[in-house]
Amino acid sequence: MVQNTKSLPALKKTITDLKQQFDIEPKTDVENLQNKYLGKRGFINDLMKSLKDVPREMRPVAGQLLNELKENLDHQIKLLGKGLSEKTPNKIDLTLPGLKPNAGHTHPVSQAIEEITHIFEKIGFTRVRYPEVDWDYYVFESLNMPLDHPARDEWETFFIEVPEAEKMGKMVLTTHTSNGQVREMERLNSKPPIRMINIARCYRRQQDATHTQMFHQFEGLVVDKGINIQHLKGTLDHFAQQFYGPGTKSRIRPFHFQFTEPSFEVDFSCHICHGTGKKGRSKCKFCKSGWHEVGGAGMVHPNVLKAGGIDPDEYTGFAFGWGVERTYTLKEGLNIDDIRLIYSGDLKFLEQF
Amino acid sequence: MNILIPHNWLLEYLETEASPAEIQKYLSLSGPAVERIYQVGGESVYDIEITTNRVDSMNIYGIARETAVILSQAGIKTVLKPLNIIDKNSLQLTKELPMPKVFNNPTLNKRTIFIILKNVNRAPTPKWMARRLAQTNMNIHDSAIDITNYVTHEIGHPIHAFDYDKLMSIGGEIHITEAKKGEKLTTLDGEYLETVGGEVVFKNIDNQIIDLPSIKGTKNTSIDQSTQNILLLAESIRADKVRFASMTHAIRTTAAGLMEKGVDPHLAQPTLLRAVELYQDICKAQIGSQVYDDFSDDSIPKPVNINLQKIDDYLGLEINVKKIIKFLNSLECKVEIKGGGRTTQLIVQPPTFRPDLAIPADIIEEIARIYGYHNLPSLLMDTPIPTTYPQDINFNFENKIKNFLSNIGWQEVYTYSMLSDEIAQQSGYKLDQHLKLQNPLTDDRVYLRRSLLPSLEEIIASNPHKKSLSIFELANVYQPLDEGKLPQEQMLLGLVSTADYRIVRGSLESLLDRLFVPSYDIVPSKQPQQQFNQSAEITAKDQSGKTRVIGAIGVLTSGRIGAEIALADLLKIIRTHPTYRPIPKTMPIIEDLTFSLPKGIAVGEVINSIKQMDQLITKVELKNIYQQNYSFAIQYHHLKKNLTAADVEPLRKNIVRQIEKQHQAKLVGEV
Repeated sequence: MVQNTKSLPALKKTITDLKQQFDIEPKTDVENLQNKYLGKRGFINDLMKSLKDVPREMRPVAGQLLNELKENLDHQIKLLGKGLSEKTPNKIDLTLPGLKPNAGHTHPVSQAIEEITHIFEKIGFTRVRYPEVDWDYYVFESLNMPLDHPARDEWETFFIEVPEAEKMGKMVLTTHTSNGQVREMERLNSKPPIRMINIARCYRRQQDATHTQMFHQFEGLVVDKGINIQHLKGTLDHFAQQFYGPGTKSRIRPFHFQFTEPSFEVDFSCHICHGTGKKGRSKCKFCKSGWHEVGGAGMVHPNVLKAGGIDPDEYTGFAFGWGVERTYTLKEGLNIDDIRLIYSGDLKFLEQF
Repeated sequence: MNILIPHNWLLEYLETEASPAEIQKYLSLSGPAVERIYQVGGESVYDIEITTNRVDSMNIYGIARETAVILSQAGIKTVLKPLNIIDKNSLQLTKELPMPKVFNNPTLNKRTIFIILKNVNRAPTPKWMARRLAQTNMNIHDSAIDITNYVTHEIGHPIHAFDYDKLMSIGGEIHITEAKKGEKLTTLDGEYLETVGGEVVFKNIDNQIIDLPSIKGTKNTSIDQSTQNILLLAESIRADKVRFASMTHAIRTTAAGLMEKGVDPHLAQPTLLRAVELYQDICKAQIGSQVYDDFSDDSIPKPVNINLQKIDDYLGLEINVKKIIKFLNSLECKVEIKGGGRTTQLIVQPPTFRPDLAIPADIIEEIARIYGYHNLPSLLMDTPIPTTYPQDINFNFENKIKNFLSNIGWQEVYTYSMLSDEIAQQSGYKLDQHLKLQNPLTDDRVYLRRSLLPSLEEIIASNPHKKSLSIFELANVYQPLDEGKLPQEQMLLGLVSTADYRIVRGSLESLLDRLFVPSYDIVPSKQPQQQFNQSAEITAKDQSGKTRVIGAIGVLTSGRIGAEIALADLLKIIRTHPTYRPIPKTMPIIEDLTFSLPKGIAVGEVINSIKQMDQLITKVELKNIYQQNYSFAIQYHHLKKNLTAADVEPLRKNIVRQIEKQHQAKLVGEV
């Protein structure tokens, strides 16, 4: 064995040669190989001893190169040893349970919001967020609901214990994301095009299996020249198919809201029975009649456009708003029957998402 | 509001080939939603949701009218039958019994209509009527009472049966006026009330309340078992006044529910006459008076002008003008046409029972729904996409934080923004530094929170089955500002964990690394911040090189580790990408050094001291702690040349000397 270690290039050459030599060794006698290369008088040890001949400044690098070589050969010889002693190819028990890394979970509402956001961003909506504590003006008055209007009763509003502001009225917890409508018109200086998706926490004074004091809504608002009911239908269909899967249909039915005219209720076809209300010969158990009611929509009321500084003779628009939780819990196979679980903070629930 | 409409009762006014299922389907698509069909006594009963603006549909005849229009458009032959009310002139009116004198206030009441019926036979309610009342969940009394409920449900205007003799015996006068505060009355079912002032009431000559009109009768004038003569009366009190009194006293009767929505006063007469007919038939009653009718305000809705083009704009297609007129006529709107082509003006005169038709969009709604929303195509917008995005919000970055933290083992939670007084104060803020709800629903949701950490602590405490738990939330806190201003809503990232400090801090640091924050530091505070026993500021340099505090990390009073970071501040220091540093061609040398450090030492300072000693010291990591022995892995690296043992030796010696001197440390082993 040539052992020229007087310079780094020479050492590297020696190492390459040694590796090549090892490669062509017969691999039957592992013990012999071990002694020959890694033993006390083996090649590696010889080389290590000759390190003292290497110039001082090169020693650390040279040492490291030799260490790498030693580890490499050691590894190869050990593999050979194993293979021979067991006489069979190395096998592991594939039925052993996996060891999962300790991953957490995003909250189901976050997951739903992320999905909803993407669906609307694909068709050009801008996501926004507006105050959760807002003035009566944005939550009701600018939405064509003057003070003491009976329509306000439906909202079960929480009021904040502060003096009323002169023009803005009472301070309230937002009962819906519709406070974003006039705020978005103001943000854009009353200049359409507007395609807003506003997702936020909302609050209503009610609590049962289908209501929590706090919940989330998403609100769509589109305003431009030539926006009509067909565009609302198109947007709803797009959402239904993206969120619930291909084939899901939407439909709108007459309803009444103060801030839209015409107003609609929005249904999505049941993905279990595909809108028929029947599963085989029996009734579909998941829906009432083939359809799920998810929320409200409508063509923006001229008074709301006016409140946002937009001329209703020139522009039209549509708006819709639904609960995130309600929309999410209708997903196939999810089976959440009590919406309060979502905000319970119970890890046995959250860890399933 | 939901109302119940028995199929057979509906058929009194409807000639149709449609099945109940078809009626449900088409009515729901183009009119009020038929939510369910109940089977009651072998007959179908529709449960229909009627929106508050359509009080005209909250009765059998109103639904019959809607159904006729909608089914005809759907291609199912359907005809609306007329109401067929007896002619007022055919009644045998007399002046036999004196009529009470009415003193009206026209600003409170648009119409008062009544008639006196004598010798009313208190017959039991006939079976056919009882069945229909039962199908609509109404109580059955006797015919003298039930007839009023029956006709109200059929035609839509509430009417009230007074005991004529009682009314006359306490003065025979009806003063329609507003109550003052503290006036007393007893309702017909014996409930005692005191007015708050402003309720519209009927009073007698002695200023005594003798009726709570449109809401409930009072005991002193309502019929009882001995009643023989009835004064049948319908009035039209201002809707907001009815609503005020009904809500104030929580008396939610059918009459109040209708009248507060503005029932058409024109319906008062047909309803009254239909009742007279039934009293004559069933109770063998005789007419004892003229019909008194003071209709002070019989105004009709204003006509609505609408351009055909506007209708096209909303629907996105053109509907033949003849068809539009047919739809509107079938809804009893009169239509006048001006001009031609698509600039044609329609002047639409809504019927008196449709005051909700006030602006062009209202008319468009009628046309569109009768045409059928389901018959309109579905299209996406081809208008320009807006590109003016909100400032200071970065949803992608919020998602990145959520996804990263959850991927490294943290659980995201959503907790309520409102807290109990006890939990609110755990933030270290006093109660008066919080916004408070005026009308909380439950005691545990009263104050708007100033910190996320108390809520997160609550979650950890409520999951005792989890031995180790790390949770986080991104949510707003609410800082009250001066009067007349909305609170400052500040989005925070809160983290609380049962893990030890190094793990929580490490998670936070790797989050900052992931967000490409170029340099950050954790600086212990001399005084712990609110809600911490011990805390440190998280600082970082922003784009301009200024060091800013972005949050705090520390030991909470519970002993758990918590951290809170303001997202707006974090947003100012994050980057979308790192600055790439060329991969060095040289090798670093890594050595371990172990020091025995005195108790109470700040290891962070020791590490900083080592780092600052020489430019060639590029990394110092705490490798191991054993009692007071701290092992550090120290990396020496020159980017241009490979270091030798000789290069490193003086550096190492200097480290040992300095650390021993500066931090009262002792090297373990030899240099």
